[in-house]
Amino acid sequence: MASVSASHLILFIASVLVAASVAGTITTTVGRLSDGVSQQGDALSQDVQTDIEIISDSGAPVYDRDGNGNITLLVKNTGSRSLVPLSSQMDVLVDGQFQSAVGVTVVDGASPDSWQPGDVVRVNVSVPNLDTGDHRVQVTVNGDKEVFRFNL
Amino acid sequence: MGFSVSGSAAIVFVGLFIAFGTFYSASTNTMEQVTDARSDWGDRDLAQRNTDIEITAATYNNTTERLAVEINNTGATALSVDETDLIADNEYLFPERSDVDGDAGTDVWASGQRLTYNVSVATQPDRVKVTTGTGVAATEVVTRG
Repeated sequence: MASVSASHLILFIASVLVAASVAGTITTTVGRLSDGVSQQGDALSQDVQTDIEIISDSGAPVYDRDGNGNITLLVKNTGSRSLVPLSSQMDVLVDGQFQSAVGVTVVDGASPDSWQPGDVVRVNVSVPNLDTGDHRVQVTVNGDKEVFRFNL
Repeated sequence: MGFSVSGSAAIVFVGLFIAFGTFYSASTNTMEQVTDARSDWGDRDLAQRNTDIEITAATYNNTTERLAVEINNTGATALSVDETDLIADNEYLFPERSDVDGDAGTDVWASGQRLTYNVSVATQPDRVKVTTGTGVAATEVVTRG
């Protein structure tokens, strides 16, 4: 009789351990899944709230305005969230080539460290000795792409 | 034996319940966040589609070295004067004087109203561009007044 109780106890403990392990695995996995969904949601909502416009006039000079071989563009935050005015937060391509020498300065904002909705930043892209002809600049912030075309 | 099965089932059930609760709250919060963002985008898009401006005059006075720009709000969206930008030959300008139908203190540039900029510029620019807060822009060639 005692052996039956002992075996029942062992089976009980084993079944509880197996159930706890299954429950633990499920909660851990679903917890990670939930974190992933939250992060994706954050990223998606930030992408949707981000909107920029290149407001430079393509009919006026944008290249070599100060004699230092820069393309100077004015970019306006037309979205609903403030952005970070750093070149690391912005991808600039000139004629399909990624540019690393990019400077970003807030022109009309209240703070030089924050690019608020409605504010304009000046983007200087160092491209020495740009050939004459048609050129295309693509600026990407948080997945929002804007293209500016000009002619030299 | 029956108690083992019931106990194990209860533990698994509690685990499933906690997991469902975690996932449900995460997914509803995310959906709400994304829905808010999309709704906000829809509002911005509507405002942009209802925005239209027209530069009626861009005149440079050589004697006073001042540039005067008059822009009509020909759309259906009330615009913000603070969020409107003036550039001349791709140089961002900070107008010393701006008024909406003669009112210099207002930030509201309503439909049908005229925004007037008056800014000191050393040399006559060739072109001006005005961009509203919604991103809608207009350009004009500067004439000598």
